[in-house]
Amino acid sequence: MNKILLFVLVVGLLTVQGCKKEKRLTIAVGGAPSEVEYLERLIGEFEKETGIHVVLRRQPTDTDQRRQELVIALKARERDPDLFLMDVIWVPQFAASGWLEPLDDYARESGVELSSFFRGVVENVDRYDGKLIALPLYVDGGLLYYRKDLLEKFGFSPPSTWDELVRQARKIQKEVRKKNPSFYGFVWQGAQYEGLVCNFLEFAASMGGGLTDSLGRLTIDRPENIRALQFMRDLINRYRISPPNTYTEMREEEVRLFFQRGDALFERNWPYAWKLHQADDSPVRGKVGMSLLPSSTGGRHVSTLGGWHVGISRFADRKKEAWELLKFLVSKEIQKRLLFDLGWNPGRRDVYGDPEVLKEVPQAAVLQSIFEKAIPRPVLPFYTRISEILQKYLNSALSGDMEPDDALKSAQKEAEVVFSLYEKR
Amino acid sequence: MSEEKTKKILISASSVFILLFSLVPLLWMLAVSFSGNIDFLRSGRYLITLSNYHDIVRLRNLHFTDYMRNSMIIATLTSLIVVAIGLFAAYAVTRMNFPRKELFVMGVLAVSMFPQISIVGYLFKLMSSIGLINTYPALIIPYVAWTTPVVLWLLTSYLTGIPRELDEAALVDGASRGKALLRVIFPVAAPGVFSAILIAFILSYNEFMFALMLTNDFRARTIPVGIALFQGLHGEIPWGYVMAGAALASLPVILIALFFQRYITEGLTRGAVKG
Amino acid sequence: MKRGNLCSPASGEALPFILPVILFMLLLVALPVIGTFINSLFRDVPFLEKRFVGFGNFARLFKDPGFRESLLFTALFLLISVSLEMVLGTLFALTMNEKSRLTTLLRVAVLLPWVIPVAVGARIWQLIYNYDYGLLNSIIVLFGGTPVNWLGSPGLALFSVILADVWKTTPFVALIVLTGLKAIPEEVYEQARIDGTNLFNRFFLITFPILRPVFTVALLFRTIDALRVFDVIYVLTGGGPGGSTTSISLFAYRYFLLGDFGLGSASSVVLFLIALSLSVLYLRAARFKEAIS
Repeated sequence: MNKILLFVLVVGLLTVQGCKKEKRLTIAVGGAPSEVEYLERLIGEFEKETGIHVVLRRQPTDTDQRRQELVIALKARERDPDLFLMDVIWVPQFAASGWLEPLDDYARESGVELSSFFRGVVENVDRYDGKLIALPLYVDGGLLYYRKDLLEKFGFSPPSTWDELVRQARKIQKEVRKKNPSFYGFVWQGAQYEGLVCNFLEFAASMGGGLTDSLGRLTIDRPENIRALQFMRDLINRYRISPPNTYTEMREEEVRLFFQRGDALFERNWPYAWKLHQADDSPVRGKVGMSLLPSSTGGRHVSTLGGWHVGISRFADRKKEAWELLKFLVSKEIQKRLLFDLGWNPGRRDVYGDPEVLKEVPQAAVLQSIFEKAIPRPVLPFYTRISEILQKYLNSALSGDMEPDDALKSAQKEAEVVFSLYEKR
Repeated sequence: MSEEKTKKILISASSVFILLFSLVPLLWMLAVSFSGNIDFLRSGRYLITLSNYHDIVRLRNLHFTDYMRNSMIIATLTSLIVVAIGLFAAYAVTRMNFPRKELFVMGVLAVSMFPQISIVGYLFKLMSSIGLINTYPALIIPYVAWTTPVVLWLLTSYLTGIPRELDEAALVDGASRGKALLRVIFPVAAPGVFSAILIAFILSYNEFMFALMLTNDFRARTIPVGIALFQGLHGEIPWGYVMAGAALASLPVILIALFFQRYITEGLTRGAVKG
Repeated sequence: MKRGNLCSPASGEALPFILPVILFMLLLVALPVIGTFINSLFRDVPFLEKRFVGFGNFARLFKDPGFRESLLFTALFLLISVSLEMVLGTLFALTMNEKSRLTTLLRVAVLLPWVIPVAVGARIWQLIYNYDYGLLNSIIVLFGGTPVNWLGSPGLALFSVILADVWKTTPFVALIVLTGLKAIPEEVYEQARIDGTNLFNRFFLITFPILRPVFTVALLFRTIDALRVFDVIYVLTGGGPGGSTTSISLFAYRYFLLGDFGLGSASSVVLFLIALSLSVLYLRAARFKEAIS
């Protein structure tokens, strides 16, 4: 019998291994490995400057996995990570779930001026229930990349309306196809994932549509949205300037690689692609221009707001130190370096006017106007559920399984059910 | 054509089919894992390389070695614990009488029918309230419970085949039940116990859903979840790495299958014939 | 101290032997299941206050087209997958039963798909089905065909998932049936051969009936497993395209991920009840047949 007890004890002790939890400042960061490595070095500098020891918890690259890991930790009220990065679309969910520490007092005491940040971003995303609960690490907005060499050759200037884009694309595509049969006029993200919703929102809002009205009610099946969805379908089937696998495979990297190979005239993508297009081994190096996305005639130029924000966990055991690190990351100096080294666009507008920035990053002016105008996706705690519904129906319309008006009507119906499930009563 | 001939042809064809069906995906995995260019079927060129294997073990960011370590430790501890408690219970079922024995056996069997998803939600709440999320016990404890039915089933049918006279002799000599089990029965039952350990190991090693929901980073995450979630930069998947990872991840269980094939198949099928 | 003989009702002494198992079963299975049942009666979302809603969650579930879709998918998956496994597994077993030089090789080969983690196997199949680099499309293109979108078209995705699952689980059926086959004495076949029955008749009139209990066991296990399928779908398609390959388990998981424990629990409860009913129906049917024969 004694032997058994001993056995059980030993096994028990071994099992308890990995249960230790010390107090420490932990930040969870994810993204591409190069980005994570850079942040690691940056945080090392912070440690030297302030003497605060930081533990870096590396997250995967995939957004959904990052969210899952954080949700698990926060639901379990873990003390780590103290600080973490959130995709702009999760901030409402995290905030409404009471997982984010309010930052107004910290900001006030540290003298952090909220007016130095993009107002639209801070007010729409970083505020919940009147309280500040996050700050932008970097912002993103969709934009149009174009082959300036091809446009010049045909005597065009960058299109300012969708009609112009279609006309230019058709003409140039026909000519270039004589030599390069895999050439397409316009590549964008149409696969069934979050990016599709971002693209759709840009098409729709530029034609006067949108997902919600001023009162926050869902307006998915608006006529303008139906027209936008039909237009997206036409790009593939009628005008044939977008490839047939747009709705099965085209996501950010697929689109970028397509354009970078030299097989596309126009590309809708996020700012990150710029650096890669200008890389030494890029076939389109020096031939790329960027501009605002076209509008419909008489409409406005719109970008979907993306980006990542930093927040402090309500259950953190080192909140003061976490704030120091947060302050560090959103400080003007660090934001400038992130822009130069990673191509991350600051959420602070004061960086864009900086003379050094204007010299190094000539497109900063374009970027600034994009971010001032960027519109967020619906700021709802259950946005991901709505997005899933939208992704499904938008993609069915693109693939031809459903007609645009049916698709959007069904999406509206389903989304309304979710809305009634989850809205605050 | 004679019947014998027909039969021979059918069996040969069938054998070839079985081999191809079972092995081609695994051979494909190996082929991709050793290739430098995964489009080798389209392009016709095959660049052989060890860099995929080298990289996934070397790159700390990928946490591959962490996942393997976690899986090995968790599966080993689970199999040892579950077989220990299962052996005692099986002994009681086959050698002792106790009230509602039928209920006990049926109850444990019924548990194996439960969908994991019906358990994991509340299990998550339980584990987080004790603060065990993302630790080894968070997985070992549920795994022990989860593999108990199979192990009990296996050991029960095995012990039934061991004659009672052995016990009786020991008891007559004045040994307690416990001693009888450990000193007399256990050595005789060793092959069955070994089968049970192997199967419990395989089941825990391969488990996915609990690991997905009860762990969230490299400190306790297991290799099936690690492989499943393996992504690359900006979302494009590095298939060379994934297949190398898949090969390494499968190695422990494949080795077990190769060396202990007898134990596994016998263990699995024992209870089946009894029904 | 007096000790009872081996079969006396000295039940007290059995307790320490069975207590650990009882504790594990109660605390880690029974308790969570009850907890899940209770949870399904509440609106439990992190960004709203917890509230009792009775059967409200269930009502919403059945109005949700996504849930109905998952029920349909699970039913189709179950029917097709299990049928294929049973047929294929029996074929494998019959082949392996014949003595040949390949027997050990066959045994090992057949075992391999079963022992590797489902998630790992699914990743391999994900690459096999890959549009650009996959094994299947590369072979198709080699023969001059056009590549197929195995995982991207709703109808096709269903079969792709089924094939990957069948690959993994057929060994289990094969092994069980093989054991049953081995228990049939050679004399039975000898007699049948002398009587002049041919190969196929021998199978259907002799082998099949004898194997019935074995089939029943395999069928029961495989049915329950197919009902709760999760791993292979999560990795292979994530439930897409458009929710067309979402099983009930995956559907429940989605809600848990959103943080909605109420709806997640409700979905799990529905699955649990389905599994329970099927098991009971099954066992009843099996006993009924036994009673007849």
